[in-house]
Amino acid sequence: MSAQALKSDTPAAPQTPEPGPFDSWLPSVARADEPQWLALARADATERVHTQGAPTSKSEGWRYTGLRALLEQGFTPVDEPLSALLPEDIDDLLVRGLDSHRVVMVNGRFAPQLSDLADLPSGLTINGLRASLAEAPTALADSINAVAGEGAHVFASLNTAGLDDGMVLHAKRGTLAEKPVELLHLSVGMDEPRVAQPRHLISLDDGAQVTLIERFASLGDALYCNNALLEIRLGRDAALKHRRVQLESPSAFHVSGVYLSQAANSRYDGVNVGIGARWARTDVVTRFSGEYADCNLQGLYLAGDQQLLDYHLDVHHGLPHCASRENFKGVVHGKGKAVFDGLVYVAKDAQHTDAEMSNRNLLLSQSAEVDTKPQLEIYADDVKCSHGTTVGQIEPEKLFYLRSRGIPQALARRMLCIGFAGEIIDALGNDALAEYVADAVGNRLEAAPL
Amino acid sequence: MLSVKGLKAEVDEKEILKGLDLDVGAGEVHAIMGPNGSGKSTLAHVLSGREGYEVTGGSVSFEGKDLLDLDPEERACLGLFLAFQYPVELPGVNNTYFLKAALNAKRKYHGEEELDAVSFMRLMKERLKVLHLDDSLLKRPVNVGFSGGEKKRNEIFQMALLEPKLAILDETDSGLDIDALRVVANGVNALRGPERSMIVVTHYQRLLDYIEPDYVHVLAKGRIIRSGGKELALELEEKGYGWIVDEAAA
Ligand SMILES: Nc1ncnc2c1ncn2[C@@H]1O[C@H](COP(=O)(O)OP(=O)(O)O)[C@@H](O)[C@H]1O
Ligand SMILES: [Mg+2]
Repeated sequence: MSAQALKSDTPAAPQTPEPGPFDSWLPSVARADEPQWLALARADATERVHTQGAPTSKSEGWRYTGLRALLEQGFTPVDEPLSALLPEDIDDLLVRGLDSHRVVMVNGRFAPQLSDLADLPSGLTINGLRASLAEAPTALADSINAVAGEGAHVFASLNTAGLDDGMVLHAKRGTLAEKPVELLHLSVGMDEPRVAQPRHLISLDDGAQVTLIERFASLGDALYCNNALLEIRLGRDAALKHRRVQLESPSAFHVSGVYLSQAANSRYDGVNVGIGARWARTDVVTRFSGEYADCNLQGLYLAGDQQLLDYHLDVHHGLPHCASRENFKGVVHGKGKAVFDGLVYVAKDAQHTDAEMSNRNLLLSQSAEVDTKPQLEIYADDVKCSHGTTVGQIEPEKLFYLRSRGIPQALARRMLCIGFAGEIIDALGNDALAEYVADAVGNRLEAAPL
Repeated sequence: MLSVKGLKAEVDEKEILKGLDLDVGAGEVHAIMGPNGSGKSTLAHVLSGREGYEVTGGSVSFEGKDLLDLDPEERACLGLFLAFQYPVELPGVNNTYFLKAALNAKRKYHGEEELDAVSFMRLMKERLKVLHLDDSLLKRPVNVGFSGGEKKRNEIFQMALLEPKLAILDETDSGLDIDALRVVANGVNALRGPERSMIVVTHYQRLLDYIEPDYVHVLAKGRIIRSGGKELALELEEKGYGWIVDEAAA
């Protein structure tokens, strides 16, 4: 059954939809082996893609983030898994000294031959999404879109419409995973611009504790698009440390959405690092389903020439006694552009909310640009909320101090930038990963005209 | 070593140095004393190449080179060192990394190999001991959370590592108690030698009990108005600056 045929089964669907901006992204053939519920979800999402269309500069949350370049590429879905890669082909992309359970996705498809899932602790299961669906066709019916719902914007709909593969991680009640789980999104250029739309389902039952290190990397300077979506469910007292390091190729487009549902007393500790990609948009959306939950969102972005890095955080406090913190730092150089849009919403009933938001930026050139928009919407009266935003330059006294010790100007500037970023790099809480990120930041700045 | 002739400098179109002359020979220690606001720090900054000062007249030669032509980092690599009156805090910049970068920048400038990690650590530990500084200082960000005394000792520690030809110590004694002063002075004295000159800027004579100068100069209103031996410092201690300033004006 083709997607077209499926759609005409849905009564509300227009008979012949107008050509839409994302038509090329949609799968042209529906999968015969797919369970009914998924086919329906896909058809629904396809419908939404048509009605939502592409956001414009007038759309809420897209004012500074133009889509023209992305739409011009005419991305088409990855149709074949790339199974030719051998473990030694990706050696250079690994984090030296990082001991992890590794899941590798190549162009959005789970690649078991590159993954290392031996010795998972008991209580922790990790599988490919495709494999999970094949093994138990109905098991995930209640999971997909359970946290993301219809998503924040068209890219979430696209991800469901194009849903293909991903990682399914489940930690049973009380599971303590000592080693981090590493989820490496590896992208390899194809002869046409391709979009991969992995969907990851992460579910921690009550009291489980897991560290997830998510990385985006590429072989070469390939042009491609990743539109990844994560649905994360944390049970009572569960704790997830989530590290995300976006080092896409300089020609790549990147969209990722992290949707979080946190039960009582759960802890989410997230650090987002954005260094690569030509155009990147990240959304983190948090909803609390119980009291005394804690959501800590930190981030570091480094944007230079020909780069746009865009972060949208949306934390909704609907219940009392939860805490959230947004702490993002940015370094923008050359003609780079960054957007920080942090929203904390505190509903009337969310008394005793503790919310903190901070966004600090270092601009290294006249033509660097940052658009920062911290938003606190507070409707409860007994809360502790604060926010602060700064946009500054390298301080001349600091630069002179370093130069007076013989350190050349360019290196001195780089040292001060890395020092500024240090707080977030330290927050990664893993020496091997911190070193990897510090090196990546250093290399990027070294290549930039400072 | 250093020859300053008729140096004039402005900040924000205000003339601070008004024709200053100073000659420092190899191995000599010169003290520069003077009332607050007389231009002592300005002189130190102009010599080390800080931006924001406009030199409007005169010349400075250091080891035969026109110092005013060079970037701050090049001056440092040639052997000039300034111990800051107010050392700058560098959040996030690790002290060890900073020291290594400084030392290696200088070695690179002179065409020498970078120091390997072991020799570098050995050198640091040895110099730390002289200044009674704790190892833990190396792991911290530069000057962040240091006490006033630690900051000053850290300046002299850097000097000990970088082994400059000419060190300018800008009020290194201010804010130090007597024990810390002794430690700093010992550190400085350990570095005295026939090839190393120093300009010790101070407001008080006290430091000069510990670091004995060969010459003492009085800087007032942007000029050296009196020079002499170390006995001049004692005279200043006794009578204050007023009489000299008045005499010079007369
Ligand atoms: N950045 C500056 N901007 C304006 N005036 C300055 C600046 N730095 C120093 N001055 C002025 O220059 C004069 C000399 O200052 P300084 O060299 O710090 O004196 P000293 O170190 O002898 O106490 C003072 O009048 C001071 O106010
Ligand atoms: Mg001064």
